[in-house]
Amino acid sequence: MLGIMLEKMWHKKWMNICLFLGCILLIATVVSFPIYRSAAYDRMLNDEFINYLSSEGKWPTLIKGTVVSKRDAHGKTLAKVDEMPGKIYEELGVKEVNTFRMLNLATTPMSSDTKRADAQKVSTKLSCIDNVEDKVKILTGEMYSESGVNEDGAIEVIVSQSALVDMGLLVGETFTFDDIHYIDRSDIKVIIKGVYAAGDDTGYFWQTKPEKLNDNLLCNSKVFRECFTGENAGKYTVTNFTSCMFDYDSIKSKDIARILDRTNYFCKESAYKSLLKEPEYLKLIDDYSVKVSRISATLIILQVPVLAMLAAFLLMISGQMYEMEKNEISVIKSRGSSSGQIIRLYLYQGLVITITGAILGIPLGALFAKMLGATRNFLEFDLSQTLKVSYTKESFVYAIVAVLVCLLSITVPSFKHSRVSIVKLKQSKALKRKSWWEKLFIDILLLGASLYGYYNFNKNAGNLSNAVMAGESLDPLLYVSSSLFIVGAGLFFLRLQPYIVQLIYTIGKRFWGPASHVSFMENIKNGRKQQLIMLFLIMTISLGMYHATVARTILDNAIENTEYLSGTDIIIQEKWTEIQDRYGAYTGDYYAPDYSKYVSLEAAEKYTRVLYDANGHIKAKGGDNLTATVMGINTKEFGEITMVDRSILEKHYYEYLNDLAVVENGVLVSSNFNSKLGYEIGDMLTFYNVRNKTCTGKIVGFVDYFPGYASVENGLNPDGTPYSKDNYLIVAHFDYLNSKIGTTPYEVWIDLKDGYSSVDVYKWIEEKKLTIKKYVDASMKMQATLEDPLLQGTNGVLTMGFVVTILLCAVGYLIYWVMSIRERELIFGVLRATGFHKSEIFKMLLNEQLFSGVFSIFAGIGIGKLTSKMFVPILQQAYASKNQALPMKLITVASDMYRLYGVIAAVMVVSLGVLIVLLFKMNVTKALKLGEE
Amino acid sequence: MAENSVIKVNGVTRVFQVPGGEFAALKGIDAEVPKGSFTILKGRSGSGKTTLMNIIGSLDNPTDGEVFINGTPIKGMSEYERENLRRTQMGFVFQSVSLIPSLNAFQNVEFSMRMAGIKPSKERDKRVEECLKLVGLGNRMNHMPAEMSGGEQQRVAIARSFAHGPKLILADEPTAELDSQMAARVTEIFKEMTRKEGITILMTTHDVGLMGAADSIIELEHGERIN
Repeated sequence: MLGIMLEKMWHKKWMNICLFLGCILLIATVVSFPIYRSAAYDRMLNDEFINYLSSEGKWPTLIKGTVVSKRDAHGKTLAKVDEMPGKIYEELGVKEVNTFRMLNLATTPMSSDTKRADAQKVSTKLSCIDNVEDKVKILTGEMYSESGVNEDGAIEVIVSQSALVDMGLLVGETFTFDDIHYIDRSDIKVIIKGVYAAGDDTGYFWQTKPEKLNDNLLCNSKVFRECFTGENAGKYTVTNFTSCMFDYDSIKSKDIARILDRTNYFCKESAYKSLLKEPEYLKLIDDYSVKVSRISATLIILQVPVLAMLAAFLLMISGQMYEMEKNEISVIKSRGSSSGQIIRLYLYQGLVITITGAILGIPLGALFAKMLGATRNFLEFDLSQTLKVSYTKESFVYAIVAVLVCLLSITVPSFKHSRVSIVKLKQSKALKRKSWWEKLFIDILLLGASLYGYYNFNKNAGNLSNAVMAGESLDPLLYVSSSLFIVGAGLFFLRLQPYIVQLIYTIGKRFWGPASHVSFMENIKNGRKQQLIMLFLIMTISLGMYHATVARTILDNAIENTEYLSGTDIIIQEKWTEIQDRYGAYTGDYYAPDYSKYVSLEAAEKYTRVLYDANGHIKAKGGDNLTATVMGINTKEFGEITMVDRSILEKHYYEYLNDLAVVENGVLVSSNFNSKLGYEIGDMLTFYNVRNKTCTGKIVGFVDYFPGYASVENGLNPDGTPYSKDNYLIVAHFDYLNSKIGTTPYEVWIDLKDGYSSVDVYKWIEEKKLTIKKYVDASMKMQATLEDPLLQGTNGVLTMGFVVTILLCAVGYLIYWVMSIRERELIFGVLRATGFHKSEIFKMLLNEQLFSGVFSIFAGIGIGKLTSKMFVPILQQAYASKNQALPMKLITVASDMYRLYGVIAAVMVVSLGVLIVLLFKMNVTKALKLGEE
Repeated sequence: MAENSVIKVNGVTRVFQVPGGEFAALKGIDAEVPKGSFTILKGRSGSGKTTLMNIIGSLDNPTDGEVFINGTPIKGMSEYERENLRRTQMGFVFQSVSLIPSLNAFQNVEFSMRMAGIKPSKERDKRVEECLKLVGLGNRMNHMPAEMSGGEQQRVAIARSFAHGPKLILADEPTAELDSQMAARVTEIFKEMTRKEGITILMTTHDVGLMGAADSIIELEHGERIN
């Protein structure tokens, strides 16, 4: 049987190769989604931790607790607390990075043994930190010894620099504690052996910096434990501060549930609940979970069309398999094979294809997932930024399902074998008939449904963004309506296609050569056979176009918005010293720092001073205070640094600045002063800064957009409902504003030279030893925008979806054509025998490709463009961030489209190449079965 | 060489490479088919008649020997020239159904005329009708091949083979899949064509019952001519 099977497979190697490719792609795609999802979530989680680390400067995965033990008989409590870190690491299933454990005796006075005249009366606490020895460097003196006690029995201690200074201690000095004694009532003596500071490269060991340990005398923990814990513990008050730091890098999204559960157990239920503080990572995980829920639903919705295409592909394969096998099955059957044998034969064949498919497909799926993570834009990869992927249990479940579905589609034809003759009859009759969907007007129904969806969403566009803002995921219906539109429009095109071909045929009837003639006739009569592959092609291309536009629009709008809101490359505000009056009260005036130093900032192309006060206010007509942002600018300099897109303003940005420039007390205000508050140009406007200092200006213009200004602020109330608040903006002259409200801290807006980055500005700041109060780096914001997992995931899934569907499309297209040529080998042979030239056969096939392939491609492009025009503006609402300030616009970039066309062209060329090879291998006499041998 | 032979076969040998050596399907055949005759190429299956037919039809090359069509040797022709020879001067009828499934009877016949370069015209349409009437299918012109019986399809194929006015029709076992009544009818049509249109017809068959209609018979056995 194996022999028969292999022979059968070899006989139809082209078909089997296509089938095999289809299986690999299908399995790879299906597997890549769960792998990508889990890897993307891992990265998100990791980002969450890293962001915390870099913004807070603290280790993100840390759980800490303090216990004060008094009269702890036999030191049982302390012993238990000592066991805690191990338990936590084990139960949370995390990797220990560091356990910081500090034991303290109560603060207690001590006296110097050398009765120094200048010795202060000091209170200290004797402490020890486990394993601190290699985390410190000794600045003066030496480390306490191995034994921890000197020859006189004094405990050797080291102190921080601040403790040394604050308490006036001397290295080498010996002290005796006044109030506490050893268990045998003898005096506790300590000797200061050295001064320590945090060692180099100690990572995040020092959660509490040594400078803060300004009354701790650190001794050898062995000595401390011997003397004050265990059996002796009952006599002392010992504080145990434990901080368990564990690795966040190895925490994967799948660990989250366990870590949350166990952390809650430790903090709320365990024996340690009273001493443990709720760790901060719970909040991080919370944030992460919200993001995950928002993203995962969106990603799933985005994957649906891809999975639908995969299903369509299988349907097509199964249909083709059936077409191909029906004769063979009846032959085998007529030779006396039982149904069981036939089914087994096909089952084995299916198993060989799907299992080898899975062996190659699963690793390919992991590669796909990696590529998904490296997507920067639609069909644009940054391979330096691939995702760390690993196989998950889920991915194997997906793989098994994919394998089963593939297997089924290959085996099903053998189940149908008994009906061959009837079906064949039906099919030959069905040649000229309309397809079922044409008769049922499915295309019109789908178009209607999607247009209804379009209309509805268009009407409620506002709700959509509010819902998304409120943390809900993309409304699946929205995505479904665009997909339905594509399918409906695609089918509608297929309905028209035969008439279009007929029309072309009729118009040029006199000019068509025999080859064109026969291909026209073939298409007019048999064209419906190709509908599935054509629909597949149309959907692939229009979805590709649509997705490219979605991805590009979302990304570019986000980028532009971020750029606009940043205003300029870098904004620096130094810390200013406020002037105090003679009673020490702050006056609200400042000593201005030297502005001329900015000349030395080499990285700056241009820079300007900007007064920026987000907490100014105006008195509205009813007397209410309305918060307003008050800016003071030097119009010329400001204009050289900033820009607002001409298309969104009524007149050029510079014209607004010019209007302001010519009026000394002029103010440029946001349009809502006019629309909401009724101000007109020429009106006088009184406004206040954050310190209630007042200024009056004459309104010279209304602007809808101004660098950094968002007219409406969207957000969520604490109860989760979205709100929308008007922002008011007042822009006055820098000097005028300064003269009215006094010298107040200004910001310096910097436009960087090409080739310089924020790093160069940092260096300059360090060089100049500036204290910075505010530092805004547009590139950082941009980075965050670009790395937003929702954006990235969207791009990734859309790109991958496109790549996979186009590959499947190519395979499907090949299968179709291989089948179609094989089926017609006899006819080609007849044509060749009767004198048809090879070039004519080729021309004929080319024509057929034109009618099915090229027509579909153009239809796909048209439908894709139309769908983008209609649905992208709605869809992008869903991606708008809460600080979307600019109007959203539909963006298509030629290069995206060229990439898309390139991929399609490559696929067509490859298909055509294979067809040509097939055609040239075809032997006339063999095809005609004329040869006797 | 006689002026009136359409086909002249001179010492044609055809050797095929087969696993384990060579097989000579034709061993030095000499034959002539006179103009306007209905000649039958007779022989059992495996006798080499289809091989000879293919060589005469310029679909295959002899290993040795020469074939002249209307006095012109096929040997020197390029593939392109041979194809043109086939589409203008020859008509073919094959054993199995060979109509283009997407064209109806009329269009199938018309197609051979298109291939021969006859421009569309009323005359052409009339000629197609005539040809179909000649094979007795005047009332089935708009039927698709799938809607016709095997015999009807074969008759359409015959109409197609002579519609463009070829000098020679090569028919390879055209009656093999037909019942004897239909086979006789087909032979009759061939005979009529030689009479009415002066076409030369070479037909292979192993049906002894049809031999009587032939003007001449070439008989092959094991690759050799035996009459």
